Amino acid sequence: MTALEPTIVVRAAPRASRGLWGDAWQRLLRNGPALVGLVCIAIFVVGAVLAPYIAPYDPTVGNLAQGRQGPSAAHLMGTDLLGRDELTRVLYGARISLTVGVIAVFFGLVFGSVIGAVAGGVGGRVDTVLMRIVDVLLAVPGILLAIGIVAWLGHGELQIMLAVGVSYAPIFARLLRGSLLALRESDFVIAARSIGASGPRLLLRHMLPNALTPLIVQATLALATAIIDVAGLGFLGLGPGDPRIAEWGEMLTDSARFLQSAPHLIFFPGAAIVISAIGFNLLGDGLRESLDPRLKR
Amino acid sequence: MLRFIVRRVLSAIPVLFGLSVILFGFLHVLPGAGPAEAILGQHATPQLVAQFNHDFGLDRPLYEQYLGYLGRLFRGDFGSSVVDGRAVSSVFLVRFPATIELTVGALIFAVGLGIPLGRLAARHPNGWVDGLVTVISLFGISIPIFVLGYTLVFVFGVTLHWLPAIGQLDPRLRVDPVTHFAIVDAILSGRPNAVVDAVAHLILPSIALGSIPLAIVTRITRASVIDVSNEDYVRTARAKGLSEGRVDSRHIMRNAWLPVTTVIGLQVGGLLAGAVLTETVFSWNGVGSWVVAAIQNHDYVVVQSLILIFATIFLLVNLVVDIGYAFLNPRIRYS
Amino acid sequence: MALLEIDDLVVRFRTHDATIHAVNGVSFDIDAGETLGLVGESGCGKSVTNLAVMRLLPRPAGRIEGGSVRFEGIDLTRIAEADMRDIRGKDIAMIFQDPMTSLNPVLTVEEQMVETIQAHRRVGSAAARARAVELLGMVGIPEPASRLRNFPHQFSGGMRQRVMIAMALALEPKLLIADEPTTALDVTIQAQVLEVLQRLTAERGTAVILITHDLGVVAGMTRRINVMYAGFVVETATTPELFAAPRHPYTVGLLHSIPRLDEREDSSLVPIEGTPPDLRRAPVGCPFAPRCAWRLPRCWDENPSLLPFVPTERVTTTGPGATHRLACWNPATAEEARAGRPLREGFVTASLPSPSSPGDAAAEAEDVVEFETPQGGTDR
Repeated sequence: MTALEPTIVVRAAPRASRGLWGDAWQRLLRNGPALVGLVCIAIFVVGAVLAPYIAPYDPTVGNLAQGRQGPSAAHLMGTDLLGRDELTRVLYGARISLTVGVIAVFFGLVFGSVIGAVAGGVGGRVDTVLMRIVDVLLAVPGILLAIGIVAWLGHGELQIMLAVGVSYAPIFARLLRGSLLALRESDFVIAARSIGASGPRLLLRHMLPNALTPLIVQATLALATAIIDVAGLGFLGLGPGDPRIAEWGEMLTDSARFLQSAPHLIFFPGAAIVISAIGFNLLGDGLRESLDPRLKR
Repeated sequence: MLRFIVRRVLSAIPVLFGLSVILFGFLHVLPGAGPAEAILGQHATPQLVAQFNHDFGLDRPLYEQYLGYLGRLFRGDFGSSVVDGRAVSSVFLVRFPATIELTVGALIFAVGLGIPLGRLAARHPNGWVDGLVTVISLFGISIPIFVLGYTLVFVFGVTLHWLPAIGQLDPRLRVDPVTHFAIVDAILSGRPNAVVDAVAHLILPSIALGSIPLAIVTRITRASVIDVSNEDYVRTARAKGLSEGRVDSRHIMRNAWLPVTTVIGLQVGGLLAGAVLTETVFSWNGVGSWVVAAIQNHDYVVVQSLILIFATIFLLVNLVVDIGYAFLNPRIRYS
Repeated sequence: MALLEIDDLVVRFRTHDATIHAVNGVSFDIDAGETLGLVGESGCGKSVTNLAVMRLLPRPAGRIEGGSVRFEGIDLTRIAEADMRDIRGKDIAMIFQDPMTSLNPVLTVEEQMVETIQAHRRVGSAAARARAVELLGMVGIPEPASRLRNFPHQFSGGMRQRVMIAMALALEPKLLIADEPTTALDVTIQAQVLEVLQRLTAERGTAVILITHDLGVVAGMTRRINVMYAGFVVETATTPELFAAPRHPYTVGLLHSIPRLDEREDSSLVPIEGTPPDLRRAPVGCPFAPRCAWRLPRCWDENPSLLPFVPTERVTTTGPGATHRLACWNPATAEEARAGRPLREGFVTASLPSPSSPGDAAAEAEDVVEFETPQGGTDR
């Protein structure tokens, strides 16, 4: 029966939380598949950005006599129908996919978020009307919408960006609107309101950070789809339209006839598309897991 | 329940109207040149353009044109191709069966393989089977249809010579196009080798088109089965001493089906869109390749009508899926 | 031989991140026809113990890693799964806390009851259906024949729990394990459901293990009570004895967390300081030591065994004459039990734990005061 001294001992504190983003980044780094995805994306982006510097040849110049040759020491990925170096064209093709894809998703994200935020934030009649418009856009399935828009607007990179962006906008709109509507009714928002927060402050500080995370995940996944869709448009003959520009989808169409004799012309651009898409898909999945603060790791 | 159906149907109608307005505008508000100039191209002189506009009723007030357009739609008149003059509806009826065959083939592939794979993966979560299934799913959504298509053709068609790569039937077999469903026509012709040939032609395109739905169905089945397996009522079922088979079929799967069926229904829309790419790769004479040809030929009437038809089909499928889901889920059916 | 004899049961959950020591050597018996209460806060292992008895632990993480569970002499931890399935539902039945999630939403009540019956007896659908109607009537559901065709969501909470009770008793099991059966229900409904439970089990002589964190519930329904903490049984006594003369500091704390009608107006609730232990660490010493006002230095190092409070020759584990046992090196005296805190010199209430135990890095210094008021406590 001894008296107890009221000394205070503090044991080692648990790993300090660095806030939502810091924690998420940590979790992401520990996610194997996500890291693989990052590597794929890195290859894609580096290839795209540095193409003019690391490409061994000029993408527009070709020696017809050396056309349709398989991979060799001089041409690591072989040559295309007009004798142009395939590796160079694949690298330059990455530039198109990257720029068009990123801007298209960005455009869709902005366009969709504005619609979604207004619909979810304001509610009522405005919400109904906006969502009806979104429904109309969603009525045309998948890539068909982008095809229709490009058919309407004509060829060109900007047109493709707009078309693909518009076809993604409804998803982002619905996502953001759904998040905002759910959040409006959620306990912590009501609590914030009860201590006086209101209007724009409520929106910015309390609701948006929560609503942002599904958007970020969706945008990353959309980048994967965008690369595929842009190539798809090119494949169907709805690409940028300038024969000098190397675009992966168009490269595939041009080479389809030579599937038997020059399969490398299908394989290399195809592999490039697949690797880039895998990268963004893995990253998107990884982000989805790491950005969920409730998942303990 | 009936009220739900009615409400759902009614909500689809304004969407269709809105779409028709937009598509109508599409034809009449072409950026740059008008349709006349686009189609006539180099031959566009002011008189020819005016004649063209008059012939196609393009010089009347917009609202009048729209009403005329709507009226024709209701009568089943989707216009005629500006290229060869044939009615859209009749060509559609000839070409659509091919697309249906392709879509059904892809669905069978996606669902027939996807659900068992998803269940298998869910049985041992994080095991090696699950890992393999996850990788398959990843590739499914990351490989574009046209890349997969050509790869399949190269491996199975060109290199191995196991499966054909072009079209629906070997033209040398001379099967009569009665219904325009290749398999049905082959059956009707009474020749088993024709039927085999038709099925063989369907395999590679179905795999290519069905790759994305396969990945998605697998993922959702896996997730759904895992979620349901952790539910309390599954524990109750086991506590009652039911056999694992019963627990699996009656308690787990009956509940796990629900989200899966919804997803399958939604995939149909993606299949329609994907058909455009698949038919191009495999030279399939369906509606998808028709859209592409029409765009390249500036056949805007065809493009406009086809998009409207696609959208209508898509909306109808979604409607059926929604109603089907409400029917299957007792919580909605009896409320 | 008692109906169920649990001896030194150990259950752990092993994940790749951590191991959770959920049950750390639990022993108790229950006789045929007895109603035993299992009381403790969330995480004390009361549910896990019973899931282990039924071998319904979540796979693959949950495992029985020691001890035995003898039901009518047979060790349930060793028999084949097929034999265990035979026992589940027929000899031992279990009902769960949330009747909404515990019933399959896409099957009718009829389907769910009939499958229970037909899983263990060769009866036709008509006979099974008739039995189901009879059972629903027994638990007090009006118009049972037509209600059979309803789905679970078409019943109210109390009705759903009655349906679960009906399903559990369908095959006249010898033992019913009720895991927090009324926690999810409104207070007024709780009483009704408990009444049904008590009546039916008394009529049939069914033994009942009633798991709850609500002392008010066990007071009226049980003959004996086991108090659990951190995967151990810390005190066991007959119900009247436990309420009249609790001796384990944790039990004392529990009883004093409930406001009582007969207390003086100016007396205050005596909370149990601290937070529940981290089950990811293997237990060293008495698990209650960090929060115990009666603690001795020895409590940090040696975990006391469950021993009779008053030394006796024979220990009776079941029945109205069961020996009052507790696991404590320094039990509360009668006055201390009444006061709710130590009255001897040298013990200070509301003190912070000392760091004198070398191996126990879990000693937290957070000055968190937890009010251990059980939900839905009745006034006593």
